[in-house]
Amino acid sequence: MTDALLTGLSLALTPENLLYAVVGVLLGTAVGVLPGIGPAMTVALLLPVTYNVEPSAALILFAGIYYGGMYGGSTTSILLNTPGESSSVITALEGNKMAKAGRAAQALATAAIGSFVAGTIGTILLVALAPTVAEWVVVLGAPSYFALMVLALVAVTTVLGSSRLRGFIALALGLTIGLVGTATGQARLTFGNPLLADGIDIVVVAVAIFAVGEALWVAAHLRRRPLEIIPVGRPWMDRADWRRSWKPWLRGTAFGFPFGALPAGGAEMPTFLSYVTERRLAGKHRDEFGKGAIEGVAGPEAANNASAAGTLVPLLAIGLPTTATAAVILAAMQGYGLQPGPQLFEAEPELVWTLLASLFVANTLLLVINLPLAPLWARLLRIPRPYLYAGILFFAVLGAYSVNFQWFDVALLALFGALGFAMRRFGLPVLPLIVGVILGPRLEEQLGQALQLSGGDVAALWSEPVAVVVYVVIAALLLGPLVLRLIPGRQGPERLADQVDELEEEVRR
Amino acid sequence: MTVVVGWTPDARGHAALVRGAREARLHGEELLVVNATTGTAAVDDRYAGADDVADVRTLLGLLDVEAEVRQPVVRDVPDALLGIADEVGATMLVIGIRHRSPVGKFLLGSTAQRILLDARCPVLAVKAGEER
Amino acid sequence: MSGVEQTAPAGVDRAQYGLAAVLAVIGVWTVVDSAGLGPGFSDQVVQPAAFGYVIGSSLVVLAVLLAVATARGDRAEGEAGEDVDLGQGTDWRTLAGLAGVLVATIALLDWLGWAIVGALLFAGTATVLGNRHWVRNLLIGAVMSVGSWYGFYVGLGIPIPAGVLDGVL
Repeated sequence: MTDALLTGLSLALTPENLLYAVVGVLLGTAVGVLPGIGPAMTVALLLPVTYNVEPSAALILFAGIYYGGMYGGSTTSILLNTPGESSSVITALEGNKMAKAGRAAQALATAAIGSFVAGTIGTILLVALAPTVAEWVVVLGAPSYFALMVLALVAVTTVLGSSRLRGFIALALGLTIGLVGTATGQARLTFGNPLLADGIDIVVVAVAIFAVGEALWVAAHLRRRPLEIIPVGRPWMDRADWRRSWKPWLRGTAFGFPFGALPAGGAEMPTFLSYVTERRLAGKHRDEFGKGAIEGVAGPEAANNASAAGTLVPLLAIGLPTTATAAVILAAMQGYGLQPGPQLFEAEPELVWTLLASLFVANTLLLVINLPLAPLWARLLRIPRPYLYAGILFFAVLGAYSVNFQWFDVALLALFGALGFAMRRFGLPVLPLIVGVILGPRLEEQLGQALQLSGGDVAALWSEPVAVVVYVVIAALLLGPLVLRLIPGRQGPERLADQVDELEEEVRR
Repeated sequence: MTVVVGWTPDARGHAALVRGAREARLHGEELLVVNATTGTAAVDDRYAGADDVADVRTLLGLLDVEAEVRQPVVRDVPDALLGIADEVGATMLVIGIRHRSPVGKFLLGSTAQRILLDARCPVLAVKAGEER
Repeated sequence: MSGVEQTAPAGVDRAQYGLAAVLAVIGVWTVVDSAGLGPGFSDQVVQPAAFGYVIGSSLVVLAVLLAVATARGDRAEGEAGEDVDLGQGTDWRTLAGLAGVLVATIALLDWLGWAIVGALLFAGTATVLGNRHWVRNLLIGAVMSVGSWYGFYVGLGIPIPAGVLDGVL
């Protein structure tokens, strides 16, 4: 394994790939800083461009954007008290209080270094785990794959979001969009239009839902009171800060990575847990919580970044995306004809290891480049939205058009953009839809294969032990909250969002 | 009877504010300080934060002027300012301006010019550093 | 999350009925479309129509559930994105303007080509969203659209159709 990593490292450090890493990191941080724009949208917008570039270069670019987005988000939450990325909500609690107390530089420093530490450890764990998991998974048959995919779909639908009903609606819509096209020579849902015979390009859907939908939504709610930004110089920390930060960094990483690796774990839960834990363990610094405790920034930020690394485990080893950005990266890989999962490790080891190595490179670049540049990133926040979203729409239309150079694709873009707007209006979560579009066809394929081999015997679906375990987990996810609510006297588990809001209330007191 | 000041938390805004306060006191009128924004950027340096507004109130208190401060989020700042001037029947509108090169004037447009040309009351344009 | 407080007005969220209706229509259409499919290969276990039936009927069921939930007072919370202040209501004028720009883009794209339409798209969007310096916006848009045209051509080797400007670029 170390040879593979070293080979990958040497490839990752070629001038061309290094350039892509730098661009990715800069771009990722920039979009992380800007509220409302995120890594998922950016990767989606870049999808068409990258189809004409080497896969390894494109993936390095996306990895840089992914990690950079986490970093940029924390800058905004600390300086502006509004999260640049939704996973940075918790960081804003203590981080902004620190900034208001004149300790913005320390907050930024602990966030950046914590991110680096967590990212490095997380990537090491990723490098250790992903090939191993891939080895296990490769022996699984179609029934187990099918079960795993159903798990992924159920997990992204039920664990996060405001209501499961809406999650399932989004999922069903996504699966419907995935249906469009031709299966075994028969056209489905194509309205007799030959242009739809190949299905709807995932690029168009992703760009429409993320970019155009967001642009329309923002257009409808364009004006708001500008926020007060706290000016800051170079981030730095003194020895006391270091001493207080290093354990939260490690604990945060321990929280973040496992959650990131689980389907639909995401980053919100581990950052919340990290904050609560740090507060409990704070000892003599306990009183500072709510007024700017550095542990409250160090832990959650580490959790955040570790979770990002963790998300790559199911993506690379099994081919299951657990966050929106991972889903879009999966779409990118599929566009290259690559299928992430155990086959990828066998078929394209060089590509995978180059990618893994470049994660280390990106992580390091983030620390080195961004630490001195923090004041500069803050200036991005002054860009007026008209220009920002004009640019986004420009690239969105260009991207959709470049798929086939047909105006029809742009029309589809507009249509799905309207869908994206409707989803935001009605609170339908985006992730289940995207995952539905991507996994739907594969789901059908695996089901077909599983039943084919058994000659139509449905029992084949639970013939493998892994499949059985997975179905049990799915049942738990679906029925768990209901059962808990039925136990007399016990309230259903509080939604994470509610708990975070409570926390915010407490701190804002 | 009101003097309306179009204010921003910078040097020319300060100049306009001071001169506007002086005019108000001179004529025994009220002062209305307007700090508008289009709200289209996440951070707007020309929109005053809570501290800046507090400073303004302190300053106006020292100058012994009765004042109201408004910070509306509007579609278009010059239009809003003129609209407010009409609304309160302003006797005078005071704004701060700064020097523009010819290229600057072409590329960046001028809020001040629009206000001057469209206003229905006298407009006093003050340059930063000239407050007296 | 901005923790925006939504004072839920009393009464039913009628727009959600609209959503439920649309979902039901899509679901029914999917089922109908699937019913119209011929049989697949004789030994194919999962017929092409199968998934369509499942998904279509699920949509109808979900639509009904949504309607029921709406009638019981469920309100859709607009997504409080990081950059959106929901307390201010929907700005339909700007939204309509943006929709118009998109429609114009689609209509003009083949005829005028990307170099022109891209510039118009950028300038149109920026102006609709509130920036009044439309001359400046057009200039920036033109730089971007011509630049991207050349970028695709020189950098990626793809000539984007130039429409009216064919031969000029």
